[in-house]
Amino acid sequence: MSKTIDYKELAVRYGLDPIPDSVIRLTQLLSKQDADLEEIARVISADPDLTVRLLRVANPRATNDQEFTIETVEEALMRTGVGCVLLLAMGAPLTAAILKTFQTMAGIQVRSVHPRSLPPLRGEHICGSIGFSGKAEGMIELRMIRPVAQRVAAAVLGLPEKELTDPTAVADTIGELLNIVTGNFKSNLCDAGLDCRIQPPKVHYANEVTPPPASAGGVERMAFRGPNVELFVTMVVNPWAD
Amino acid sequence: MPAKILSVDDSKTIRMLVAKAFRPYDCIVLEAGNGEEGLAVAQRERPDLIILDVTMPIMDGVTMLSKLKEDPDLKQIPVVMLTAESGRDNVMHIARLGARDYLVKPFKEDQLLAKITRIISLQPKGAGSAN
Repeated sequence: MSKTIDYKELAVRYGLDPIPDSVIRLTQLLSKQDADLEEIARVISADPDLTVRLLRVANPRATNDQEFTIETVEEALMRTGVGCVLLLAMGAPLTAAILKTFQTMAGIQVRSVHPRSLPPLRGEHICGSIGFSGKAEGMIELRMIRPVAQRVAAAVLGLPEKELTDPTAVADTIGELLNIVTGNFKSNLCDAGLDCRIQPPKVHYANEVTPPPASAGGVERMAFRGPNVELFVTMVVNPWAD
Repeated sequence: MPAKILSVDDSKTIRMLVAKAFRPYDCIVLEAGNGEEGLAVAQRERPDLIILDVTMPIMDGVTMLSKLKEDPDLKQIPVVMLTAESGRDNVMHIARLGARDYLVKPFKEDQLLAKITRIISLQPKGAGSAN
């Protein structure tokens, strides 16, 4: 007789991390997507981080939290819609995946910053993107200037920056970092009930930042800063694709 | 005789990191870029252990693992998954197929070595017996 496999036992045996709180939160929101706004607002209000991010989206002109004209979660929800909240909730596991991947693989500690706090990306840079499809559909894009890509790749490979002269090796390493980030993110979406598959990473050198088409879904732009490292991330998600 | 470890991953970066992790040890690291190549190398070289990614072109790691476990000559080779796929259902499915251990990317070299040395014994280079 085959033994039944219990996930908790497996997680202990394999030393896997527990399912993150952000994913549990996303699961709760998804289970309530057909519920009334009041019920959804209750779930959001219990989460201070999600509340602040939602209020920021609902108050696009405010330069700080004291300038909010829309001050309640209910009002914000009426303005932005539930889809926006899901997008914001998905941003949490993505942010966690980026912080963990850069810290673990490259030993680089980055932190999430407001995208407007960084100078805009100009000139040649490396751009990696990975699409995913299924119950959630979308794309994750990672951009950084060439010297940053070189620095990050050298740190991952344990090489002095000057010795890493092959642009293909840099591109492959950045592609793999993005692959890890998106793989973690996709696993979190699956655990929240949004089963999806990811495509192989595409990495190229670009000179311009082209915005995703409006039809692609909700877009959240993120930025991350670390010692001599600035990363620009775009998440495009249509959470009800299937 | 040095241990043979087969690293199957479509990322050259990961294969380089795996090879680097085992450089101080008396072992041979073989490489393959997808499941199909991995099976061919496994049949030819009979490695002592396989480190296997999941998402790969041509043949993914789950298919390769199933094929290994169906093959009477290869099914005893321990397989350690090294993948960013950490979703509950995927982990359960892969465990049922018979993966010995599971390491989620991002990973550190010492985590990989700790998992592998629990399964096969590795000798530091130059520490071999004198006979």
